[in-house]
Amino acid sequence: MNLGTRKILDNSFTAVGMGSIVVMALALLAVLTPIVYNGVGAVFFTGTIEHRTILYKEYGRGDAKTIETQTATAERYRGEAYRMLSDFEAEMEGMPFEASSRYRSQYAQVRAAMSSLLGPLPGDPTPMLTRFQYGQTRWEKAEEKLHEILYEKKWDYSDPTVMAKAFYVPRAEAFAGTMLAPLFGYLDRHLADMMQPEFTVYWGFFTDRSLDAHIFGGIWPEIQGTFFLAIGAMLFAFPLGVIAAVYFTEYAKEGFFTSILRSANSTLAGVPSIVFGLFGLAFFINTMKVSESKSVLAGSLTLAIMILPTIIRAAEEAILSVPKTYKEASLGLGSTKWNTIATVILPAALPGIITGGIISLGRAAGETAPIIFTAAVSVGSAIGIADVFSSPTPALSWNIYNLASEHEMACEIRHVQYGMVLSLVSIVLLLNLSAILLRAKISQKLKG
Amino acid sequence: MTEEVKSDGKRSNAFVVSPQKRKMQKLAKNAGEALLLGIASFVAIIVLFIFYFVAVDAIPYFQLRGFTEFFTSTGWYPAGEPGEFGALAIIYGSAMVTLGSALLAVPMGIAAAVCLSDILPFSVRQYAKPVIEMLAAIPSVAFGFFALVILAPLLQSNGGPLLMWTWWVLAAPFLLLAVIVAADLLSARFAQEENRKKMALLLQSLFGILAVLVLYVVGTKLNAIEIITGTNALNVSIILSFMALPTIVSVAEDALQSVGRELREGSYALGATRAETLLKTVLPAASSGILAAVILGIMRALGETMVVWMASGNSSHIPDPWFNYLEAVRTLTATIAGDMGEADQVTGSARYHVLFAMGLLLLVISFFSNLVSERIVVRQRKILSGQ
Repeated sequence: MNLGTRKILDNSFTAVGMGSIVVMALALLAVLTPIVYNGVGAVFFTGTIEHRTILYKEYGRGDAKTIETQTATAERYRGEAYRMLSDFEAEMEGMPFEASSRYRSQYAQVRAAMSSLLGPLPGDPTPMLTRFQYGQTRWEKAEEKLHEILYEKKWDYSDPTVMAKAFYVPRAEAFAGTMLAPLFGYLDRHLADMMQPEFTVYWGFFTDRSLDAHIFGGIWPEIQGTFFLAIGAMLFAFPLGVIAAVYFTEYAKEGFFTSILRSANSTLAGVPSIVFGLFGLAFFINTMKVSESKSVLAGSLTLAIMILPTIIRAAEEAILSVPKTYKEASLGLGSTKWNTIATVILPAALPGIITGGIISLGRAAGETAPIIFTAAVSVGSAIGIADVFSSPTPALSWNIYNLASEHEMACEIRHVQYGMVLSLVSIVLLLNLSAILLRAKISQKLKG
Repeated sequence: MTEEVKSDGKRSNAFVVSPQKRKMQKLAKNAGEALLLGIASFVAIIVLFIFYFVAVDAIPYFQLRGFTEFFTSTGWYPAGEPGEFGALAIIYGSAMVTLGSALLAVPMGIAAAVCLSDILPFSVRQYAKPVIEMLAAIPSVAFGFFALVILAPLLQSNGGPLLMWTWWVLAAPFLLLAVIVAADLLSARFAQEENRKKMALLLQSLFGILAVLVLYVVGTKLNAIEIITGTNALNVSIILSFMALPTIVSVAEDALQSVGRELREGSYALGATRAETLLKTVLPAASSGILAAVILGIMRALGETMVVWMASGNSSHIPDPWFNYLEAVRTLTATIAGDMGEADQVTGSARYHVLFAMGLLLLVISFFSNLVSERIVVRQRKILSGQ
C-alpha cells in the first residue's frame, strides 16, 4: 500500500470514531429536542375559555369576572352556530325519509365533532364523564376539531397495490343547499370568538391532581409517587451500600469468600430489571407480605435491591480514592481503625459517595419495570405519607407508559404525556448533572 | 499497661483500659466486623433469593407442561382454553432485537471507545463524556415513548426514503474508501512500477462506477420499501442500540486504557500509522476486555423492558422471512411485563408460572454472561499485568 492510501485509511479511521461519537450526540439531541419542545407545551400553550372554566370550576382558581364576560362573549357566538344546527334539524324533519337519510350519518359526525369542540350542545343531557363536560382546552386541539367538522376524511382504495391514501372532502359540499351550509363558513370565521384563545402559563400542571384520567389537570400524584419510590429506595439502599463498601475496602481479605461476594455484586448489577419486578412480586408481596398487594413500600424495596450494586461500587471507588496518607496519619495518631473510618475516611469520601447516591436516585426514579408488579397504579390520587406502607401510587415512569400505550384517548392527550416525559427526564438529568458537577469539583480539589 | 488508682479511689479510664473493658472492646470490634460482614453478604443473599424465588415460581410451569412446548412451539395463546405456551417465537423475538441492536451498537461503540481513549484531545473528551453519561441516564420509558410516538410514525410514513438516505450516508464513504484501497492494492500487485499510477486511476474509475451502481440499485430498492407498521424490530433495535452504547463505550474504553503505552509506542516506532497501531496492536491486546464490553452491552439490550414493550408491536410470531426486521415481534421481557396484569389474577396457573419461567431464562442467561465477562476481565488484567 502506498503512503497516500495509508494516510487516507488513517484519517478515515479517525473519522469513523468521531462519527460514532457525533451520532451519539445527535441521537441524544434527537430524543431530547421533541421531548423538551413538546413537553414545554404542557405548561406554556394557547388556552381556550374552556381551560379557564375548568380551572375555575374544578380547582377554584382564576378571576370569576373575566371568565364570566369571556364566557358570555363565547356563548353569543356559539349560540349562532347552535341555532344553525337546530334549524337544520327542523329542516331534516320536514324532508322525505330518503332525502334526510342522505344527511343523517354525516350530520351525526358534525354534531359529535361540534360537541367535542365546544362542550355538550344545548338540549343534550349533561354527560357523566368529565371529559365530555367541557370543550377543547387547547387552541391547537380546537383547530384540529374544526378541521374535523369542516372536512370529511375519506380513503382512496383505487390502487390496490399500494396502501390506501387519506384525502379530505369539504363537508360544505355535502350539505350544499341546506340550512347547515352556512355553518361551516361561520365556524371557520369565528373559531377564535367561540374559544377566546389566550396565551396561558399553566404551572398547575406540576401541582394539580388530574381530572378524569389525565384528560384535564396536572400530574402531581405521579411526581409525588416518583419521589416517594425513589427516596424510599435510597433510605434502604444507601446505608446498606455504604456499609458494604466499607467492608469491601477496609475489612475484606482477598480470598474465595470475598470474590464470591464481589461476583454476587456484579451479578446483581446485571439482572434484567423486569426480573427484579418478578422477584419483588414473588418475595416482598407474595412471601413476605409486606403489604396486601402493591404498595410504595414493596416498590421501594424492589428498587433498593436494584440500585444497591451501583451504590456499593460508587462508594468503594470513593473510599479507595481517599489518599492513603490520611488513613496512615490517623492510625499513627493512635486512633482505632473504626474511629479512622468514621472520622477520617468516610468524611473525605463523602462527596464521592453522595455522587454515586445521586446517580442511583435518578436511576430509581426513572425505572419502570421493577414497579409494574410491585407499586404502580394507572389512575389514582396523591397518597399521604402514612399510606406508603399499604397503598400503591401512580408514578411518572409507569404513567408515561400507561398514557401512551393503554389510555383510551392516548392521541388526544399527547401534551400530558410529553409533559410527564419532560418532568421525568429533567428530574433524572438534573440529578445526574449535579452529580457530574460535584465530581468535577472533587477532582479539582484532589488536584489541589 | 499498668493500672493507676486516683486519690479518690476511682479508676481513671482516660488512657488506661481495664482487662474487662479491653475484652468488651474486642468483643464490640468483632461484633461490628461481623455486622459489616453480614451487611456485605446481604448482596449475595439477595442474589440467592432472586434465583430461589424466581425458580420456585417457574418450576411449577415445567411440572405442569414439560419443556418441549415452551422451547419448540410458536403458539402463544396463554388465555386460551386450554392455553398454549409456546415461547419459541418470543425467544426468537428477543434474540432478533438483541442481535439487531448489537449489529448497530458494537461497531459504533468500539469506534467511539477507541476515539475517546486514543484520538480525541482531553479538552474535547471532557464534553464527549457527559453526552455518553446523559445517554445512559435517560430513563428507558422515555426512550420507549420516543420510539412509539416519534420514530414509529416516522418509519411508517417515510420508511423507504429514510432507509435510502441512511444507506447513502453510511455506504457512500465506505464504498469510496474501498474503491481507493482496492485500486491501490491491485495496482501494486499487478502493475509495473512505471504504470502503477495509470493502472490505479483506471481501476479507481472502474470500481467507482461499480460502486455508484451498487449504491444506486440498493438505494432505489430501499426507497421502494413500504413499512406496514412502525412498531417493529428495526425501530426497537435502533433505540436499544443507543441504550447499549454507553455500556459498551465505557467498558471498552477501560479495556483500551489498560493496554500500556509501551505497546503503542513500539508500534509507532515501527512506522505504523495511528489507525494501524490501534487496529493491529491495541485492539487485539484489549480484545478480551472489549468482548466483555460487548457481552455487557448485549445484556443491557436483552434485559430492556419498556422500549420493547412499547415499540416492538408485541406480535408473537417469527417474521417471514426470518430476518425481516420490518415486522412486529414480541420479546421475553415485554411478555412478562404485559401478561402479568392478567395472569396474577390466577396465581398458581400455568399462565402465571410461565412468566416466571421466562424470567428464570433471562436470569440464567444474564448470570452466565456476567460470569463470562467477569472472567474475561480478570484474565485480561492478569495477562496485562504479567507482561
